[in-house]
Amino acid sequence: MASSSSTPLHIVDQDNDEFDWEAAVREIDVACAQTTTSSTNYCANNGSNHVINGKIPTYTSSNPRIQETHKKSVPNQSNFAYFASSSRQLTLDRFIGIVPRNSNGHQREKHCNGFLKNKNNNFNSNCQINVGNSGEGQKGQAEDEEENVGFVKIDPEAAKTWIYPVNIPLRDYQLNITRTALFSNTLVALPTGLGKTLIAAVVMYNYFRWFPEGKIVFAAPSRPLVLQQIEACHNVVGIPQEWTIDLTGQTSPTRRADHWRSKRVFFVTPQVLEKDIYSGSCLVKHLVCLVVDEAHRATGNYSYCVAVRELMAVPVQLRVLALTATPGSKQQTIQHVIDNLQISRLEYRSESDPDVIPYVHDRKIELIEVAMGNDAVEINNLILEVIRPYVARLSAIGVLKNRDCQTLSPCDLLNSRDKFREAPPENLPHIKYGEVEGYFGVLITLYHIRKLLSSHGIKPAFEMLAEKLQQGSFARFMSRNEVLLKAKLLMQQSISHGAPSPKLSKLLEVLVDHFKMKDPLESRVIIFSNFRGSVRDIMNALKDIGEFVKATEFVGQTSGKALKGQSQKVQQAVLQKFRAGGYNVIVATSIGEEGLDIMEVDLVICFDANISPLRMIQRMGRTGRKHEGRVVVLACEGSELKGYMRKQANSKAIKKHMRNGGANSFQFHSSPRMIPHVFKPEVQFVELSIEQFVPRVKKVNDDDQPIQSPAYKAKLTDAENDLLSKYFSTTRENTWKPSLIAFPHFQAFPSRVHKVLHSFRTGILIDAMQCLQGLPFSTCSTAVKVEDSASPEPCSASEALVQCNGKIKETSTSGDFPIEDCIREVSLASLEPKEDLRTREDSYALGSQGSQCKNLVHSFLFSSGLISVDDLGTVQVLSVSQFPVKEVLLSKIMTTGRAAPFYHLKQNIACIDASTDVCEERVGNAKDDSMSQIRSSQDDKDCAFKLNSCNASGEKTLGEIILETPIPKPMSDGGESINNSPEDRAPMLFAAEANDDPMDVEFSPRLTNFMESGIVPESPISSSGMPEIQRDDIMVPDLVSTPMVHAQSVVKYLGQNEINVTSSLTNDISAKQMKNSTPASKFRTPTVDECRSPFIKSPDIGFSKDWQLNPGGNSHGVKQRRKFKRLRKHGDLCRVKPQDCKEQTSGPTRNFTSSSVGADDGQNHHHRGAKFISNRAKLFVEDEAEVSLEVMVSSDEEDEQEDNSYEDSFIDDRINPTAKSTQAEESGIDMMAVYRRSLLSQSPLVGVANFSEDFTPSSDVPRNERASTSGSESHLVQKPENGLESTARNSASLHFNLDRVSSDALLSRITTSPKEQKSKMENRKRKLFCKSGFLPVHNLEKEFFIGSVASGHDSMLHEQTDKIQENSKTFLDNDITENRNIFDDDQFYNAIDLDAIEEQAAKLIGFKTDYSKQNQVPIAEPVPVNPSLLGSPSFDLGI
Amino acid sequence: METSFDSDLIGEIFKRIWRRRAAERERNEVTEAPDTEVGVGTPKKSRPTLANAKALKLSSELLRLFVTEAVQRAAMIADAEGASTIEATHLERILPQLLLDF
Repeated sequence: MASSSSTPLHIVDQDNDEFDWEAAVREIDVACAQTTTSSTNYCANNGSNHVINGKIPTYTSSNPRIQETHKKSVPNQSNFAYFASSSRQLTLDRFIGIVPRNSNGHQREKHCNGFLKNKNNNFNSNCQINVGNSGEGQKGQAEDEEENVGFVKIDPEAAKTWIYPVNIPLRDYQLNITRTALFSNTLVALPTGLGKTLIAAVVMYNYFRWFPEGKIVFAAPSRPLVLQQIEACHNVVGIPQEWTIDLTGQTSPTRRADHWRSKRVFFVTPQVLEKDIYSGSCLVKHLVCLVVDEAHRATGNYSYCVAVRELMAVPVQLRVLALTATPGSKQQTIQHVIDNLQISRLEYRSESDPDVIPYVHDRKIELIEVAMGNDAVEINNLILEVIRPYVARLSAIGVLKNRDCQTLSPCDLLNSRDKFREAPPENLPHIKYGEVEGYFGVLITLYHIRKLLSSHGIKPAFEMLAEKLQQGSFARFMSRNEVLLKAKLLMQQSISHGAPSPKLSKLLEVLVDHFKMKDPLESRVIIFSNFRGSVRDIMNALKDIGEFVKATEFVGQTSGKALKGQSQKVQQAVLQKFRAGGYNVIVATSIGEEGLDIMEVDLVICFDANISPLRMIQRMGRTGRKHEGRVVVLACEGSELKGYMRKQANSKAIKKHMRNGGANSFQFHSSPRMIPHVFKPEVQFVELSIEQFVPRVKKVNDDDQPIQSPAYKAKLTDAENDLLSKYFSTTRENTWKPSLIAFPHFQAFPSRVHKVLHSFRTGILIDAMQCLQGLPFSTCSTAVKVEDSASPEPCSASEALVQCNGKIKETSTSGDFPIEDCIREVSLASLEPKEDLRTREDSYALGSQGSQCKNLVHSFLFSSGLISVDDLGTVQVLSVSQFPVKEVLLSKIMTTGRAAPFYHLKQNIACIDASTDVCEERVGNAKDDSMSQIRSSQDDKDCAFKLNSCNASGEKTLGEIILETPIPKPMSDGGESINNSPEDRAPMLFAAEANDDPMDVEFSPRLTNFMESGIVPESPISSSGMPEIQRDDIMVPDLVSTPMVHAQSVVKYLGQNEINVTSSLTNDISAKQMKNSTPASKFRTPTVDECRSPFIKSPDIGFSKDWQLNPGGNSHGVKQRRKFKRLRKHGDLCRVKPQDCKEQTSGPTRNFTSSSVGADDGQNHHHRGAKFISNRAKLFVEDEAEVSLEVMVSSDEEDEQEDNSYEDSFIDDRINPTAKSTQAEESGIDMMAVYRRSLLSQSPLVGVANFSEDFTPSSDVPRNERASTSGSESHLVQKPENGLESTARNSASLHFNLDRVSSDALLSRITTSPKEQKSKMENRKRKLFCKSGFLPVHNLEKEFFIGSVASGHDSMLHEQTDKIQENSKTFLDNDITENRNIFDDDQFYNAIDLDAIEEQAAKLIGFKTDYSKQNQVPIAEPVPVNPSLLGSPSFDLGI
Repeated sequence: METSFDSDLIGEIFKRIWRRRAAERERNEVTEAPDTEVGVGTPKKSRPTLANAKALKLSSELLRLFVTEAVQRAAMIADAEGASTIEATHLERILPQLLLDF
């Protein structure tokens, strides 16, 4: 209305030829026809309008279009008369072509007048304003035209047709109604279940097509209905979902504004529509269609009315389609709806209409009269008694017309009261007004209670009464009314009595009958009650009825006083469950009546009958939709029944009004034809393809997942999707999460890595896991226990260790067992690289501790044993406790510790050897064990063997380390040393190489861990050595390791001899040296391989410490050598595994023997060593090995073992002092080379004894190395652990034998004078450095040389005799060793060992080459050994 | 450098997580101290966490390494077991150490 459209239109109208005059005339005619009819009725009815109507005719002449707009926009009925008259005039004017300008203003006035009159009767002022505006009417017809069509363009193509979907079987009445609804505002009154929604959807769809930019609104009175209708509409015509949106109060206004802009079809609640129209966010100008569901609500100031009023006020042209099943119970209310919604047509179908009947299912309505209970009757009478005086009083005043208190209803009272308020009787004094009001209030309450009593039972009535008596005016009037109190008491009694109300019992009866006839699982029942209190009563009653009734309540949101309501969520859930069968009975209040598409219900029970027919129809509409249904109405005798009957009669009367489109009963409003007449849409039946409806609400809740998932799923294969669904279900709670604790056993060992190495923290984790899973210290032997005891106390432990050693010595068997245990442990550790590493670490740690004290070293050894204590075959990780110690000591300790473990290993081996037969057998077993076959077979022995093998593996690792170290040696060492070194190196290299592969793989993680833990600092040394060294360098480290082994052996001997303090000292020195060497080796190892690196690192650390400890460069050199020796020993041990271990053990034994001999009885040592060697050789020969020799050796071995252990400790000590990392390495390397050279050259030249001694250790070492090499070989063949070396078993054994022999020889030599050996060692080592204490190193070197020689011999022998066993047996070395063993070591040593060894070494080199050339694995192994021996040259080359 | 993950994707993932975290934090704060002054905390809360391009690139690479390593290690386990496909169980075995390695 506010717009100025009216006046200008005339002019333009005239000027505009495009105006569709014909259409206009037609419309006008229609309008006239309607208005004439309606106006007559209207005028008769409404007096107030008459005045206006009377005025209106005076204002004639206006554009018909304007009239139309006015008609549309003005909701007031009063306009009709005016329009009717004016429109006629206008048509005349049209035809005449005269448009009086003034009329615009007038018309406007009228228009405004009409509109305003609706509200305020404020006529004049608006008229004036409008008149003022009327002058400027230039906008013309174009705008009018535009307005006519709306602000929205029409798609002319689409407008040629209108589409009716035939997806659903066509129903004529729906088609007809739809056709009507498309072209005029229509009120569709169809019984429930006859497809109102389809009509609405089709209309919406066609408007959607016709107006590409138009917006369509579907309003439904509640949110559930909105959601239901959006889906229903979609399923009918399939308006693309991207254009549809549901807007409810849950959507925020800002989002709604966005949606109003971006979407085209809106499903809204009327409240939202009203608000958004007010706020302007609803783009009203683009609205083309408004569908109003449940239109009977459009009365009063309900949002429907307000919204439509606002839309008309804009004005906007739109099609209104109103849907209802029950337009109203009275003609008047229907008229109100028509007015409020600007309806121009009424389409009414009743169930009895011929075109509807085929689609209506039979619906039986039963009225069951229920007699009131006696109590209720009595109470009712009492209440009536209370009521009567008040009614009498009111009727006396004349306020109440009806004197029959029986028939009065609360409604009557309300009406009377309203009337009284509007026009109180004149004769009544004002003072009485309050009294009358009070009477009314009391009466209303009482009647309400009475109604409750009759329709719902005593209990609700009692509650109501009790509540009312609490407060308010009713309490004031009634609290002392005895009759009422009596009634209340009666009610109370009745309730406490528990007698159910007759209605309730009848209801249960009906229900039980129903479920007897129908399947409780399939059938659904709704019970309607108007009163929430009775819903609860019904629920309580249904609880007892039986299993087959699963009842729930369905009540509204607003919570009353006592009873909580249900949120919409709960409501939805209830409906969902009801549909799914979770419930089969719903007890509902009026909320269940309307619209909600509660699935097909078989039975509807109306608990109270006295309700409006409209609601009764809705209730009945819940059933009989798809198949037959049944409605049971429970009515109480008396007032309720009467009321029901009356209302049914009313509804029938209404139907009469509705006949014939209501043309005779109602006034209708003109409505715009949205489609210009140029378009004459023809119906087109189309089969629409409707996409699956995707509920938007769920979308929002699920974060768009259901929509997105198909997108990516489409790109994946089925298998991938299956995999995804296996671990990631759509519901978030069930998403699979990987477990970190699922495989604890896997966490005890470092997993294999790809590119990212394990971190320090992983190491900690592994250690922790190992601790947690740690095998118990099951001490097989007491000695182990002793060791354990010793280990805890490092310093004091030394004595204890010594004692233990002594004990061990004393009880060879017992000692053997512990040793075996240790060995087993070690072996186990070696077997499991991780474990081995740990054990080694532990041992290192122990060694580090021991480094300070020789005794400590022993303790460490013991501790290591403790750690690794395993039962027979079981592989056990070292004890965790040791690890921390290691960690504490870390660098130094690590090196020392490592040396110590090696020593331990060696010692263990020696011990094993000491147990001659056993050892031999064990060795054989060990080989087998290495094969991993024997483990189970032989218990302790096997274990020992395994241990040996483990040790061998550890030695291998050491060897690897040593290999790295060798480079420094060659670098620093002189020719002699070089010569020696090469030999040593060669074996070392072999061992190292052999070791490297397995070791690297196995150790890598640990090594990395070590590196990270702090070993890294040492790495530089390794790096320095690395470049030159590499594998050749590795050879050197092997050599170093051999010296280490020698030193260890010496130490062992010393340890065995305990008595020899000097030896212990030497051992310490050697140990230091060993340490140094070990670090060097460690360093080298890292360079060579990561696996090696960790070891290397640890040794490096040790070296660094050693370095620090060592004041002089000489010491460094010595240390280096020693380190190398250690490394070699380690490597040898590791590589050789069983064989190596044996050899090493023999070596150490020899060394020990030599040292011991030097100190005590060299012969014994030599013998031992020889025996060991022989044993070892035999062992290596193993399968073929001679038991006798082994036995011989075994006896010696026992001693040797003891010696070895001591030696190891000593060696460790030595290592510590020698420790100087880089210098040590280099010097060590040099030293090694020098030693080797010296050994080679000197051994024969210089005091043979010395050399021999030195060599013996060295030889031992070489043996060890060789053993390691051979061990590697043996590993390949014999020892599966070494795998790589396994092929070379025979050769390895030969080498070992040779080594052993050489070592034995060396030992023998050493036996002559261990001190001399030491001195020699020192001389050798310190030829450069000048330190006597380093003799062991010399020895080691010598040993290496010897070993190399021996190896060479071995290799020679091997070459000569392909049969390794035979070779081993036949080998001169073996023989020599045996002889030596048998004979005095000194003699052996003196005899030829050194020279022979050297010669042999030279030969060996050649042989090695040859061997290497030879494809035979054993040979090949020897060959590598030879090369290693030759390696001295190779080292030289490296240098 | 090999092609790494799409840093935009990584960025989106990060943002998603940040958003969720922020929401959780807000919720927690609201529940914990609903009466605390809102004015102080709001600007900080409302500020979204950001990562610049280089950081995202680096993160992408790190994630790529992580994933590759995880897959490779799991593959080794699977291979050792003779399985042709990597199952979750294989991943679980290497996961603890893998997590510690990164």
